[in-house]
Amino acid sequence: MTDAVMQSEIHVLFRRKRIMALALPFMVLAYLAYVVWTFDVVGLMQRAEPGRAQTLLADSYSYKTHITRSNRTGDWDAAIEGERKGKYDEGVFPAWAVLNDTGMTIALNHGHEVTVSPEGEMRYDVPGFGLITALPTRRGIETNLTPETAPDWVNMSNTRLSITTRGGRVNVTKSKTEVFRYFTGWELFFFTLDSPYHGHSVTEILFGDQIDPTRGNVAGALHDFWMNPMWHHHQVAWAMFETILMAFLGTMGAGLIALPLAFFAARGFNPLRSTRFALRRVFDFLRGVDGLIWTILLSRAFGPGPLTGSLAIMLTDTGTFGKLFSEALENTDKKQIEGIQSTGANRLQRYRFGVLPQLMPVLLSQILYYLESNTRSATIIGAITGGGIGLLLTQAMITHKDWEEVTYYIILVVLMVMMMDWLSGWLRRKLIKGG
Amino acid sequence: MLNVRHVTRLFGQKAAVDNVSFDVDRSMMIGIIGRSGAGKSTFLRMLNRLTDATSGEILFEGRDVLSLRGKDKRAWQSDCAMVFQQFNLVPRMDVVSNVLHGTLNRHSALRTALNLFPRDDIERAMDILDRLGVGEQAPKRAEALSGGQQQRVAIARALMQDPRVILADEPIASLDPMNAQIVMDTLRRIHDEDGRMVIANLHTLDTARRYCDRVIGMRDGRIVFDGTPEQLTTGVARDIYGADEGFSEAATSTAIDTISDAPIPA
Amino acid sequence: MSDTALGHHTGGGTTRDAYFEMVRRKRLYGGLTILVFVVLLVSGFVLADGRNAGGFWNGLSQLGDFPATVVAEAWESRADMPAHLVTYFPALIDTINIAAASTLIGVLIGGLLSMLSTRGLAPVPWLIPICRRIMDIMRALPEIVLALAFIFILGGGPVPAMIAIAFHTCGALGKLFSEVNENADLKPVEGLASVGASWPQRMWLAVVPQVAPNYLSYALLRFEINIRASAILGFVGAGGIGYELKNTISWGQGKFDEAAAIFILLFLAIVIVDNLSDLARNRLTHGGKK
Repeated sequence: MTDAVMQSEIHVLFRRKRIMALALPFMVLAYLAYVVWTFDVVGLMQRAEPGRAQTLLADSYSYKTHITRSNRTGDWDAAIEGERKGKYDEGVFPAWAVLNDTGMTIALNHGHEVTVSPEGEMRYDVPGFGLITALPTRRGIETNLTPETAPDWVNMSNTRLSITTRGGRVNVTKSKTEVFRYFTGWELFFFTLDSPYHGHSVTEILFGDQIDPTRGNVAGALHDFWMNPMWHHHQVAWAMFETILMAFLGTMGAGLIALPLAFFAARGFNPLRSTRFALRRVFDFLRGVDGLIWTILLSRAFGPGPLTGSLAIMLTDTGTFGKLFSEALENTDKKQIEGIQSTGANRLQRYRFGVLPQLMPVLLSQILYYLESNTRSATIIGAITGGGIGLLLTQAMITHKDWEEVTYYIILVVLMVMMMDWLSGWLRRKLIKGG
Repeated sequence: MLNVRHVTRLFGQKAAVDNVSFDVDRSMMIGIIGRSGAGKSTFLRMLNRLTDATSGEILFEGRDVLSLRGKDKRAWQSDCAMVFQQFNLVPRMDVVSNVLHGTLNRHSALRTALNLFPRDDIERAMDILDRLGVGEQAPKRAEALSGGQQQRVAIARALMQDPRVILADEPIASLDPMNAQIVMDTLRRIHDEDGRMVIANLHTLDTARRYCDRVIGMRDGRIVFDGTPEQLTTGVARDIYGADEGFSEAATSTAIDTISDAPIPA
Repeated sequence: MSDTALGHHTGGGTTRDAYFEMVRRKRLYGGLTILVFVVLLVSGFVLADGRNAGGFWNGLSQLGDFPATVVAEAWESRADMPAHLVTYFPALIDTINIAAASTLIGVLIGGLLSMLSTRGLAPVPWLIPICRRIMDIMRALPEIVLALAFIFILGGGPVPAMIAIAFHTCGALGKLFSEVNENADLKPVEGLASVGASWPQRMWLAVVPQVAPNYLSYALLRFEINIRASAILGFVGAGGIGYELKNTISWGQGKFDEAAAIFILLFLAIVIVDNLSDLARNRLTHGGKK
């Protein structure tokens, strides 16, 4: 039989465990509640603009084409995203917009149709609702809707009528009438309208007749794609390369500087305690100042660009590598070094044959691991110091307009990091197994 | 009570358990013997539903064990306790908590996560540990116990489930002869005193013969023998183990007295 | 490989030739690798130097100018320094809170994801590759991307940074955790499965006690990283000390003394957290070995 002491001991044990088990989740919840309160998450949610999220999402995978009538001159034009670079030639319209003597007829999505008479009267028969007409005049917009009968997807005032349906969007003001039709995809991703290759399929370009009489099809198409004035593929590729360059130079430079320094900071390799201590503090300092501050300081001296980013990564990681390598050095097996020493090898030879083979796997795997993680850092540092894909990304985001370009960059960045991750893993396996 | 019909388990092309059928009409202690790889473990694991069967049917008092899903499956597992060769305790937890794990099926995940085991259960866990002679170890971590003590804690966990059936998968294979005997005695006592059915995989003949009411012999996934211990002659045993003339029972023995009886090899 | 080749003393000329051939090839490959590496490094630096606004050698001489200005200004108004430290301390707390909260969220979600993506622990096998890919993508997304998107939707402040860092942390910790899970002993899990325990019960009672020390150690390491990340994100508008730094460091504001105070706060915070976490991690790994 268990005696009473044992019994009570167990119950005390369980009471303690119960308190522990309750305390941990409670502390986590309490801390999260504190964070929600101190960051004013509730207020933030009220102030948030979900409409912006919608724009962001919709824009990231679709684009719109504007068909615009100037109500002063009665002229029509068409432009993708309403941008100058996406403008159709004078008098040229996409196939779904037909201009003739009876006016303009524009087919929208889901079978919706908008017609505008030569006099400028807009007629839109919205399925399930009925006909909406609007005529811009000097005094304002004359429409068959009144503010009372207007549904909530119509926004109207004296001088403005805006209709948003699943077919598209219509804006009528005194100065112009605009009809928007939405399309899935990224507009003009391959060729802009001024390129002769726009609208041709891959097989046509590869095997079809020569399109541009002055250039071969493949060379011309590649050139026009590469120099695409809307998507700037060549600049994006350069920016990606710059970002990888920053990560590569920063990481490798840091590794090369940190390796010899690590010997001076490791016990057993440098008998002078004071220099060891001093070097360690230098490493701590380099790490503690951190990439952000290094970036700021360096960009004041070197100006914006990839060199600044590389040096910032290099300084921070020299600290990190110095610490890691000197710890690895202290953990090396002394027996192997003694073995080399017993043959009468000098100090440098001892390090080369007794230490380096032991250090190599640690060194390589750390450097390669940081190479991958620095690719991500280089994106961020680029945003601050002005270089690489990070700069393009922030610029595109700050304009709050070209979310499809932002999406494009994000996808590229994610692919780039995943590729570096895969590459670093592959090299690690290859080199460490081979070495 | 328990009806096993044409149960088969394939691993790739190979049948680990091949068309096994038998019936048990009353609670008894059953030993399943055979050499390693004969499919004993796979069969017990299917009975507990740790492994899924490829085909066949197992009925326990009309309950179609193999077709149970989700909650029902876990309810069956709580009725059908399992004791493992390697004990399968949580090593970093104390002994009583390990025994209390036997009640997990009855409590919600949240409740167990917060360690809210009822006081009655804790008392009962300690009673069971007392009954199995490991009461003094109650507050220790499971990893601090000897193998035999750990196995008794595992049996205590099984008893905590208050199961109808106890499955024991090579319960003494990792133990020294002394502890093996204690564990087997314990299992037999549980059967005798509580009337629970015990099905044990054993790799030694003499243990099966000594403790079991019925012995099933398996070879290459099939049942090659099913009868009382008395019917288990050396010839039958050779057949089960696929051994030649040189086979002797002592070679498979782990019990203390058998070893002391047998001639000690030079 | 070379050992076996040397082992055959009786092998005669052929073995020896093969060995010399191998040495020659190894030297050639090694030399080529180093050559390619050096060429890449040098040309990379030259290229980066060319594309930079200011050249390297030019800049090197100016390297000290800015810190000197900052230090000089800070020294002039050194009497205000304690006041500045107090003023900006709440911003530092914000930065630390961003890091701590996102690490915590990362541990919770990353832990769950890691269990869903480890063979032997996952409740349904087809979830394993899905969860792994999800973690890969979460890990690959730089914090700044999400932070800027959420700043656009939610406005500035610490929450966008917290969401962005937490998202990345989930993926990063999830991967590390699943490596820990791979080494967890599955026998207790099976033991609990045999008593009819549900999946959360099996994970909480049989897996978490085994992996908790390693999880904690990785989480602390991540916390160090996240403090830096949250300072950087502040610089692009996401609140905390980075934001204050951006405001004070611009030219012509005459606020370099405040910038110096922020430098000091950030530096101290990073060093202190690094050392504390180092200490705790050392204790954790030693405690694990009994």
